Amino acid sequence: MLHLMKYNIFVKVKEFNVIFWPLFFPLILATLFYFAFGMIEEEDFEIVPTAVVEEEGADPVFLEFLDRMETGDSPLITTRKMTEKEAAAALKEKKVSGIFRVKETPVLTVGGNGISESILQSLLEQYENGKQTMQTVARLHPEGLSQAAEQMERYEEKVEQVSVGGKTTNGNMQFFYALIGMACLYGAFIGFAAALSIQANLTPLAARRCVTPTNKLKLVFTEMISSFLIHFLNVIILLLYLRYVLKLDFNGKMPQMLLIAWIGSMIGVSMGIFVGSFGRMKEGVKIGILLAVSMTGSFLAGLMNGEMKYVVERNAPFLNRINPAAIISDAFYCINVYDDTARFLRGMVTLAVMCVALVLASFLMIRRERYDSI
Amino acid sequence: MIQIENLVKRYGNLVALDHLNLQIQEGEVFGLLGPNGSGKTTAINCMLALLKYDRGSIRILGEEMTPDNYRVKQQIGIVLQNVAVFDELTVYENIDYFCGLYVREKEKRKQLVEEAVQFVGLEEFVKTRPGKLSGGLLRRLNIACGIAHKPKIIILDEPTVAVDPQSRNRILEGIQELNRQGSTIIYTSHYMEEVEQICTRIAILDHGRSIAVGTKEELKNMIKTGETVTIEGVLLTPEQILSVRELPHVFSVEYEEQILTVRCTKAEHNLIRLLHYLQEQEIPFGRVFSELPTLNDVFLEITGTKLRD
Repeated sequence: MLHLMKYNIFVKVKEFNVIFWPLFFPLILATLFYFAFGMIEEEDFEIVPTAVVEEEGADPVFLEFLDRMETGDSPLITTRKMTEKEAAAALKEKKVSGIFRVKETPVLTVGGNGISESILQSLLEQYENGKQTMQTVARLHPEGLSQAAEQMERYEEKVEQVSVGGKTTNGNMQFFYALIGMACLYGAFIGFAAALSIQANLTPLAARRCVTPTNKLKLVFTEMISSFLIHFLNVIILLLYLRYVLKLDFNGKMPQMLLIAWIGSMIGVSMGIFVGSFGRMKEGVKIGILLAVSMTGSFLAGLMNGEMKYVVERNAPFLNRINPAAIISDAFYCINVYDDTARFLRGMVTLAVMCVALVLASFLMIRRERYDSI
Repeated sequence: MIQIENLVKRYGNLVALDHLNLQIQEGEVFGLLGPNGSGKTTAINCMLALLKYDRGSIRILGEEMTPDNYRVKQQIGIVLQNVAVFDELTVYENIDYFCGLYVREKEKRKQLVEEAVQFVGLEEFVKTRPGKLSGGLLRRLNIACGIAHKPKIIILDEPTVAVDPQSRNRILEGIQELNRQGSTIIYTSHYMEEVEQICTRIAILDHGRSIAVGTKEELKNMIKTGETVTIEGVLLTPEQILSVRELPHVFSVEYEEQILTVRCTKAEHNLIRLLHYLQEQEIPFGRVFSELPTLNDVFLEITGTKLRD
């Protein structure tokens, strides 16, 4: 097995398509981005101006929550109480980034789709998470309600301490996050080559491997593992280049970034293996599919246009939940900007599930050992 | 050693193998001879359990050949028609990789790889990548990758296609040496000269059927042709052509562009009789050739078409 893996890796690292597109191309693109955006300096987040419209039956806990977000060492937002009409005018004139309509259930209206608006959305989500917990406790264990309230108070404090407040980032970072997403998806080229190399009906080399006494499962398994390892290394090199050579603002913890790199590289490779496993479709067509999927995914994740991810979120949020590039990009936001662990984990689990599904589907296609024609 | 019975393989409406029957004995160099599309490679791929087939059975070394019969696969070496090596690995690494798919033990493998390198004469090129090898050397590497693990059965599917004469001779000598060392060889080709040169028994395939099997002598004895006489630069009238046809032992006469081709049954003095007739009729002629029957004649007589058609 090690013998096979050793040679698999030797072969792959010497193959142009396996090295250039998944490794060098993202590095080149990152460098171009870096110079294209000029001075990449850290800028503090601006405190987000927000309008608050109190309506009948306003949730007092939410008002308290907003107050906490506005005060302290690192204020995140600044609120102004307004009427509905005033708030709408202020939003139109971009004097505020969003309007919180505080009624029984708070509602957020935003006028754009930048980081400020994301922060407001994230705050509302955090509040909703806490509130739901309170309601659940009240329904199931009313005797523990006071204790839960105390916990929620702590949660709010925690939110205040570890939220985006105080963190620094640069608006251009979204391009680099999308770029990492693209690099992960480009692992598809490695997976694609791996899939071709074990299907006897596609290449003579694969035929030669398939007539040996080495179990097909073993061949498939060694190909997959070596492909994953190589691309994981590719993504790590890109991350290190961005962080230590270009000195970009990657505040997140390294273990979390490695997790993204690992799952991200797996999803890219799995995608390639999956497409490479489609019957006897022409190789050029398969490569076309891979390019189309990875480039469209990266485009929708904001690689070419920073606004795109938010446009998708507004009009077709489902796409952002299934687009691997968007999930990877969002995972970097979660650890570098939002500090939203739940969202980060949700993204990672989604990718892992997609990856397992793709690998299983590929395996079902590749595992056959006899072919109708060669 | 290998029994193929009633093998049928269809690609849609095309019958690639039509109730093919073959029996290959241990120690033979068994040739599968036939024109392109006759079913040679399909038969090989079925034997190797790569292709599904519609009917029939294949038994190798007494066992049914299935994709997961690894015990049998361990005993087979394959040299495919297309060169199948990694461009990214050196000659040595390629042989080591493929040998490693059969032999796990590192020390033993090392010895086998070195022997294979020596056998195909690639000692000077062990660190060279396939892209820098000539066509002949590349074919030798292809062979080394298939035989390094010293299999009992070696299947070579058109191993000399696009190879220069020098390399071709070396390859053919190598195959005979492998046979002397104890391997049973199955050799497919559409070059009858090669098959005649090295095979101890031959099956002639056409349209997926085995139309004749035997040693080359047996095959030649199956047909009427005992001698083919060709005379160039000869001018004949239709009456004279008919007269040639009437000569003893002559059974076929072709006359085209002043070239006369006469097929005779096996008999003495066919050539002398023909030349005597031309002299008698005072017919001038150019070069004269007399050939004993070839496998092409066998194929021609049995199928009515030439082997390379």
